[in-house]
Amino acid sequence: MDEERLYAWSNPWFRWSMVSLAALTVLSFLVGFVVLPSVQPDFTAGGIWTSICRAAGLPGSWGDGSPAAAKDRASTDVVLTLDMAERASGDAIGRGATIAVEQCSMCHGAQGISEANAPNLAGQYPEVVIKQLHDYKRGDRVSTLMQALARNLSDRDIADIAAYYDSLPKARTAPARYDETSAPALVRVGDPLRNIAPCIACHGGTDHKLGAPWLEGMPKEYLVVQLKDFQAGTRHNDSHAQMRNMSRQMLPNEIEQVADFYARRSKAGGGG
Amino acid sequence: MLAHFWVAFAAFLVAIVLGEWQMYVRSPLHAWVNNPEHYYRSVTAHGTVMAYVLPTLVAMGFGYAICELALKRPLIGLRWAWMGFWLVVGGTVMAAVTVAAGKASVLYTFYPPMIASPFYYIGVVLVVIGSWVWVALMSINLHAWKKANPGTPVPLAMFGNVAGAYLWAWTSVGAATEVLVMILPVSLGLKSTIDAGLARVFFSWTLHAIVYFWLMPAYIAFYTIVPRAIGGRLYSDTMGRVAFVLFLVFSMPIGIHHLFADPQVGAGFKFVHAVMTAMVSVPTLLTVFTIVASVEIAGRLRGGKGLLGWVKVLPWDNPMMLAVTFSFVMLGFGGAGGIINMSYQLNETVHNTQWVTGHFHLIFAGAIVTMYFMIAYDLWPQLTRCAPLPAGLIKAQLWLWFVGMMVLSMPWHLVGLLGMPRRMAYYDYTHPALQSQAWTVTASTLGGLLLVISAVLFVYVLARARSNAATPDTFTFSLAAYPGERTPVALNTFGLWVAMMIGLTIVNYGYPIAQLAVLPQTSVPAIPIGGP
Repeated sequence: MDEERLYAWSNPWFRWSMVSLAALTVLSFLVGFVVLPSVQPDFTAGGIWTSICRAAGLPGSWGDGSPAAAKDRASTDVVLTLDMAERASGDAIGRGATIAVEQCSMCHGAQGISEANAPNLAGQYPEVVIKQLHDYKRGDRVSTLMQALARNLSDRDIADIAAYYDSLPKARTAPARYDETSAPALVRVGDPLRNIAPCIACHGGTDHKLGAPWLEGMPKEYLVVQLKDFQAGTRHNDSHAQMRNMSRQMLPNEIEQVADFYARRSKAGGGG
Repeated sequence: MLAHFWVAFAAFLVAIVLGEWQMYVRSPLHAWVNNPEHYYRSVTAHGTVMAYVLPTLVAMGFGYAICELALKRPLIGLRWAWMGFWLVVGGTVMAAVTVAAGKASVLYTFYPPMIASPFYYIGVVLVVIGSWVWVALMSINLHAWKKANPGTPVPLAMFGNVAGAYLWAWTSVGAATEVLVMILPVSLGLKSTIDAGLARVFFSWTLHAIVYFWLMPAYIAFYTIVPRAIGGRLYSDTMGRVAFVLFLVFSMPIGIHHLFADPQVGAGFKFVHAVMTAMVSVPTLLTVFTIVASVEIAGRLRGGKGLLGWVKVLPWDNPMMLAVTFSFVMLGFGGAGGIINMSYQLNETVHNTQWVTGHFHLIFAGAIVTMYFMIAYDLWPQLTRCAPLPAGLIKAQLWLWFVGMMVLSMPWHLVGLLGMPRRMAYYDYTHPALQSQAWTVTASTLGGLLLVISAVLFVYVLARARSNAATPDTFTFSLAAYPGERTPVALNTFGLWVAMMIGLTIVNYGYPIAQLAVLPQTSVPAIPIGGP
């Protein structure tokens, strides 16, 4: 039996399996790359070669190529990476403190806790501060005051300010928990059928996602304004439209409730 | 061997309880699980154990048993086999602890850019490396036997076993590349971005073919144990070999049908993979035909006459008869559902719905695991030197498993068609749109409960066997209806089929992988899992 040669055209097993596999492959490629695309106008617009390329996942051009069009679509230029969240050196914190005292403390408070309904920055995640300052600087987030201040900051200044605020103690250190029954349902479990994810799935509590700010103890007015701006689309620097999508489904009283919950926790007193 | 089975079934028992807990907490019988993280932790553990640990250990244990029973000689490399075993056990423990600690809720399919603790991935890699030791040993044992028995055809059980081993070796390369080259560097903190699209393409390479690795032991049992156990003959030995080599060729280059909704792969390749996926129904249909024919032989031998008269006289009180019937019924429903999943257009309707969960539970947990039970029951007297296990309890266990699996998965199919998404930690049943579907989740929970009872019964039967010591009869595999049939060299060796498997994978995956690998700006920031 073993004398029978397998890899020879005279062996019917070899012949038939090779021929049928090759025929099946060629046929399915022909149908998938030539026949099926030929009935799709957007595939065939540029001729047969373009249609084959498109079927292979290679469009002739990526987008329409113009930077203006790309700019219109993008909501932010900042790409969040894990290294932004790393703890900085003491030097960076020191430099950041110098800039912060001069330019930020008037509104955001001497210790990063605001008395003026500006967001608290004490203990804020560094990547959050970095992203927002870059967005202000490039005009992706709008505020007369903040845009003017951010315009003169270098990349390094921004990283240093973020490092400084990261080093300050938070108003309250424990995030809302999923089993805290006093928390509104939207905070704990969201509303699946309206596509609203729980706040604590990104902002800390069950999970923290890179770029999602620390909300505990934020001034209520600030939170309400931001949610409404997201809802109206006047704030649009959330890279995947995640906050615009969440807030669009929220009713005015729900915005109040959620903002109230996060703000009230600062009054419950420090530590924690 | 015994150790492989015990670890497999102990892990199985834990994972099935987790599965039932998942069904319970998201059913209307329980309030919303407020921390979805707990739910995903459980899903990850359930999937990791059921998809990697259980089938790998069963395939390994069964493979070693086949080596000794079919080749009738002691296993070469026993010490290596133990090393492989401990690698699997160590990897399992490492991954399980990481998942339990909440550092790896990424589901067993990994889903980059989600990134878990490196210990989870290293644990899974150890399980796979342990199984590679088994692959090598199967190949070595086959070749040593061939050298000692020139001119004799390889026994069918061993042929299928080695086909399964080679299939797994090549299958696991996709996920191994994904984990070692793409995920681990990020997980270890050496990189902060990952090309999620490319990673998913690599995973799809493994994701579908792994099903055929799970399936191989079941098919080997169909061909080489079932006909003997019910007093029949195997209708065709050649058909078995053809089915095994067809799995080898076609199970790999089809995984992109899992990525129909993914934008990073071109439509042409999706179509080609859909066509090739259709091809894997061929070995399954061949198997169903051959095994039904073998069962018919048993019926005729028992005096059955006429077109369907043989069905009535089949040994219906024999657990194996019951098992193969249940297995085929579930394979039928699951397979029909699978043909819908692999169709490029029909997939749109069911993609990422509960339908898919129903599909793979029917095929794997239904058709395949039922045969795992039978493999264990059949081998147990050999492994533990006990008397044959009590048929009454076995039949009760099989009935519970069959009814439980149908009650679990049929509602999933139904609500999947209605659009219920899978991988949800809770549903809002108070919403009018969902209220009418709430009963289906309760039904699935009850089906799951039957499965848990059945699993406990299964382990109980195996554990009690020890108290009933006896010298078992010599183990035999089924005889072919036409013994002495000439086996062509093509169906006695693997070279041609392995070459086709690799060639077809390169044709079907080469371009998409190369294109994504060289395309700039395709990486996205990683999302670490298990934060505060």
